[in-house]
Amino acid sequence: MNETGLQELSEKLIGTEIKAELLRLFHMNPGILDTVESIARRIGRMPKDVENEISPLVELGVLRRERFGKLDVVSLNTSKDREVQEKLAALIERGVKE
Amino acid sequence: MRAPTGIPELDAMLHGGLMRGDVTLVVGSAGTGKTTLALQYLINGAMKFNENGLYVTFEQMPAQIYRDAANFGWDIRKLEAEGKLRVVCTSPPVLAQFVESRNPIDPIIVEINAKRIVIDSISHLESFIPAPELRGELYRLVNHLKMKELTSVFTAESHEVFGDHLVVTGVGLSFLVDCIILLRIVEVQSSLKKALTVLKIRGSDHDKQLREFEITSQGIEVGVPFKDLEGLLTGTPRRTTEERFAEAFLKAAGKGK
Repeated sequence: MNETGLQELSEKLIGTEIKAELLRLFHMNPGILDTVESIARRIGRMPKDVENEISPLVELGVLRRERFGKLDVVSLNTSKDREVQEKLAALIERGVKE
Repeated sequence: MRAPTGIPELDAMLHGGLMRGDVTLVVGSAGTGKTTLALQYLINGAMKFNENGLYVTFEQMPAQIYRDAANFGWDIRKLEAEGKLRVVCTSPPVLAQFVESRNPIDPIIVEINAKRIVIDSISHLESFIPAPELRGELYRLVNHLKMKELTSVFTAESHEVFGDHLVVTGVGLSFLVDCIILLRIVEVQSSLKKALTVLKIRGSDHDKQLREFEITSQGIEVGVPFKDLEGLLTGTPRRTTEERFAEAFLKAAGKGK
């Protein structure tokens, strides 16, 4: 099994409580198109904490961050999210077989 | 010329539906059914009239909207998957970007070829835009939607549940929109009932009666006009003079026997 790959990917995705909350929020509400400050309010967290956790998810491509005027707007990148989910599922499946 | 809501009695009151390209304000206090009416307008547009729609919500999360809509038999996720409907959950600062040349809403309108839009609720913008600029910004938003040829519905919260002092909105929005539908809770013989009326449609006649409506398992159903009562909009109606006279007459006739 590619244990490092699985560990790295799951660490990037749900390595912290806030990351897991963010993913849950966006999966349940894929139409969210909002600022970090407002997203933080939606999960009952402080903006600075959420900001730190959103960046790795943006790097991974699961979330998209775009600049509109003075605002950074964050949304779910549904196609990339599906791709990452499939990758994770494949890694887990391979691990179970081995 | 008209964008039917798909609620037959309401469309009859509107003489066929909302005027295409107009902005309609649905105003009412909490629990009167503003969101249900707005959603029903979009669902019917997508399912019955081949007009795709965009629903913009601020406080209510899409997951809750999906769940509540399912109670009426409306599968929003399916309509989203088919590209007929989109629920966007955002905040007033992001919506305010809508009038900018590059904004996050326009690509969605183009992607699903939206003909209808609901903003639920416009009252949230009041908390974001400073009061002196609010009317001007709302005017800009209304015109932006018209330029896109969207038939729009704004919901707005009215703070008075009962009472004879009815303020539609505090910023003169009632002058900016083309149509106003008022939802109101009224007390009739110790029961709370829901009442609906069309306050105005710019450039069109409309039914001016106050009708009872219910939120059923299929959504909003508008019934017959309230009869023999006056002062319904105050929330505490009285029987009409004719009704009181008729009762007094019948009593007197009974004594005379």
